[in-house]
Amino acid sequence: MTDQLRSYLPIIIPLAIIEVGLMVAALIHIFSHKKYRFGNRWVWVVISVLFNLIGPILYFAVGRGETQDDE
Amino acid sequence: MKAFSSFLGKEFQESLRTYRALIMIAAFVALGVLSPLLAKMVPDLLNGTDMGGGAILRVPAATALDSWGQFFKNISQLGVLVLVIVDCGITGTELARGTLTNFLAKGLSRSTVIWAKFVAASVVWTLCYVLALLVTWGYTWYFWGNGPLPHAFLAFACLWVFGEFLIALLILGGIIQANIYGALLAAAAVIIVLNLVNIAPQAAKYNPITLAGGTVNLLSGQNSPGDYLPALWICLAAIVAVMAAALAVFDRKQL
Repeated sequence: MTDQLRSYLPIIIPLAIIEVGLMVAALIHIFSHKKYRFGNRWVWVVISVLFNLIGPILYFAVGRGETQDDE
Repeated sequence: MKAFSSFLGKEFQESLRTYRALIMIAAFVALGVLSPLLAKMVPDLLNGTDMGGGAILRVPAATALDSWGQFFKNISQLGVLVLVIVDCGITGTELARGTLTNFLAKGLSRSTVIWAKFVAASVVWTLCYVLALLVTWGYTWYFWGNGPLPHAFLAFACLWVFGEFLIALLILGGIIQANIYGALLAAAAVIIVLNLVNIAPQAAKYNPITLAGGTVNLLSGQNSPGDYLPALWICLAAIVAVMAAALAVFDRKQL
């Protein structure tokens, strides 16, 4: 079983890095901004943490507020 | 030409500043990693499952083709979803905000705006698609070794052309409605209609949706290029038609 698990490592590690990286990037952005296009801070935190990959993408694509007026 | 390149530069800057390009790249690299992973996992997970009545499920070990099958499935579903989400504001956002009026008042032609947006989105899509392809290629080679892949170029080009078709639709929808919902509606409506048309088996050969996902059968040798070429030509013609419509609508649009 450990051998089998080890054979997955070269593939799981990069995937985890991308997913966690995106999630952290989204969380940093969420906590450093006050305004969102819709929804509030906690809605976006939950979405970004619960939905791998798609959550942070949704946040950056549609949830993120305008950069100029709240930075 | 100078106006075109400077507006194109502005589009690229914007897709970096709004994180659009980065999200696309991260998502497609992740999908590229996910495909061989899923292909490898499925037999390991299912093997030995008790089906009841003493029958035990036996799944053959994964092959390179399973990995490519996952690639086409993931990119044509999740990948296309990401493309639509990321690019849905391609024309609508600027129209709604009125920021284009400045450029147009300074003499930038309307067709330049549309083409620059199309080219910028296409470059990002192409880059992401090729990245995902290379990542899946690398892992597939590492786990199973890449055997002969017949008609590989055509198989991969089909899905890419379908992505271009969606970009054109998002541009047209965004112009008609002047917001992101128009773009989403246009893309969703066309995908739904094409899926409905696909219920008729005779139509599948000519249906652009065949290009999204079905082409793994080319790699396996199950289908021949002739099964996809009609749909490919129709899809290319549709891209030209949609872009022509976008230009025409935008020319008559009151800003």
